[in-house]
Amino acid sequence: MTIRKGPPGVIEVEGLTKRFGSLTALDDLGFTVQPDRVTGFLGPNGAGKSTTMRVILGLDAPTGGRALIAGRGYGQIIRPWRQVGSLLDANAMHPGRSGWQHLWSVAQSNGIGKRRVREVLDLTGVESVAQRPVGTFSLGMKQRLGIALALLGDPAILICDEPVNGLDPEGVHWIRELFKTLAAEGRTVFVSSYLMSEMALTADHLIIIGRGRLLADTSVEDFIKANARSDVLVRSPQADALTTLLASHGAAITADGDHGLAVTGLDAPTIADLAAAQAIPVHELTPRHATLEQAYLDLTQASVDYPAGVPSGNEIDKETVAS
Amino acid sequence: MAVLDSAPTERTPPITTRVADVIASEWTKIRSVRSTYWLLVVAAVTAIGGSALVAVSERSSSQPPIGDPVAWVFIAWLEYPVLAVGILGVLSLTSEYASGQIRTTFAAVPQRLTVLAAKASVIGIIALVFGEVLALASFPLSQAILSGRHGATSLSHPGVPGELFAAGLSLSAIAMLGLALGAIIRHTAGAVAALPALIYLPLVVLTLPYPWNDTIGKFTLLMAAYQLVSEHSHTGLLSPLLSLAVVVAWPAAGLLTAGVLIQRRDA
Repeated sequence: MTIRKGPPGVIEVEGLTKRFGSLTALDDLGFTVQPDRVTGFLGPNGAGKSTTMRVILGLDAPTGGRALIAGRGYGQIIRPWRQVGSLLDANAMHPGRSGWQHLWSVAQSNGIGKRRVREVLDLTGVESVAQRPVGTFSLGMKQRLGIALALLGDPAILICDEPVNGLDPEGVHWIRELFKTLAAEGRTVFVSSYLMSEMALTADHLIIIGRGRLLADTSVEDFIKANARSDVLVRSPQADALTTLLASHGAAITADGDHGLAVTGLDAPTIADLAAAQAIPVHELTPRHATLEQAYLDLTQASVDYPAGVPSGNEIDKETVAS
Repeated sequence: MAVLDSAPTERTPPITTRVADVIASEWTKIRSVRSTYWLLVVAAVTAIGGSALVAVSERSSSQPPIGDPVAWVFIAWLEYPVLAVGILGVLSLTSEYASGQIRTTFAAVPQRLTVLAAKASVIGIIALVFGEVLALASFPLSQAILSGRHGATSLSHPGVPGELFAAGLSLSAIAMLGLALGAIIRHTAGAVAALPALIYLPLVVLTLPYPWNDTIGKFTLLMAAYQLVSEHSHTGLLSPLLSLAVVVAWPAAGLLTAGVLIQRRDA
């Protein structure tokens, strides 16, 4: 048996396939999660995010491919909670057990002391309610307790599935800053979400999947550059003449509704000046910016399992600025 | 092997330490839920109450008891707490499956057999200790009721301490069978329904024509437990060692099946 020692803190997912009967949840999925940054794991509901995380944590066996933590399968790690902290479902606790008992039982299984339990309860702000049964906790408090549990082993790698769910605005801000701090300390932070807007604020890197396939593996910066395109909506009764004119100046033009033209490559003042010079009447001239959310929706559109009356095509919100 | 250590500050602790830690964790879990205490209360009330009731009816009976009088009382003793103690075993796994806690458990300890063994140790020891306490409590009570009548005996009577110990051991076996069922079925309702089915349904072989009823019936869990508990005063019974083997074989077979399934299935 060859023992490969991978770089510490790196999660490698290679050719991962997972089938549940006839349903293919993961389809040859591959990516790498690096330390020192927050990696956002994005995809619509049912894209396979949770399944991927379960496979990484050794809970589900993949049909094909493998997931490695620092070069090893999760199951090979002795006392893994000291290396990988995870939060899959904040509700997954016995409701009658107290927060303290919940954390302490996991701490004991990995040889972690009581002092550390107190530390993480304090860090996450649930110390005052730690003796109450978790069944009485709000979802926000459960999320905080779940984060406390994930941080229990002072792990190099943190894996969280939808940690922002149920948090109030203050909690959302807290968790965002916490993830950034943990990444700045050199840890690997791998966080799933179905909200692009949330990840745009939290993550440095994005892994986007749909229907179990990799759609994008990119830095947030590059994603914004590539996708937060803007265009100008122009309406004119002489749309054909205007199209010819603008095209001759290097613009890319697509028809957009009744007498409308979606123009990229030229800004609004330039279009206005060119039209005025040729005496072509212009009835509307609207600069538009695509949101990151829209770019994400466009990307995942084809892979959404149950589209709920989402208008198709490149609908671009007027006057909204990319986050 | 040192190459495997990616956390340089941490030496891999010996396996005994790791297993002891998982047992400690399971001990914390079982004593931090209310259902544990309820089930033990139910087991205590039914065991002590049950054996007292049998003793009362035995006292008013004019006929001498068949076979071993101590076992006679213990038959009732065993029948009643069996369900509560078995459910204690069932719940220690199905409650984790129901809440999703099992994923945290297996993520913290991916060696699932260690988890199963730790749970079996904790459940088994609780049931054993509790069973012995119940035996020691219900024995003097039933004997006080029977005092001066046929069937009365004392703790110092030869064989009695062994019978008391066997009673606790049988409860421990049933608790571990419950745990195995919980691991195999994973749903509380299903496992709780399967438990009495597994304990009582095999007793239908007792309605088979002789000698089949006798021959096969001896190997059912409850009958083996009775034989283990009774003083072997009459013939046709399994030897103590063989009845012990049968009592142990039931949970052992269950736990082996559970061990195979728990590793193979997704959590």
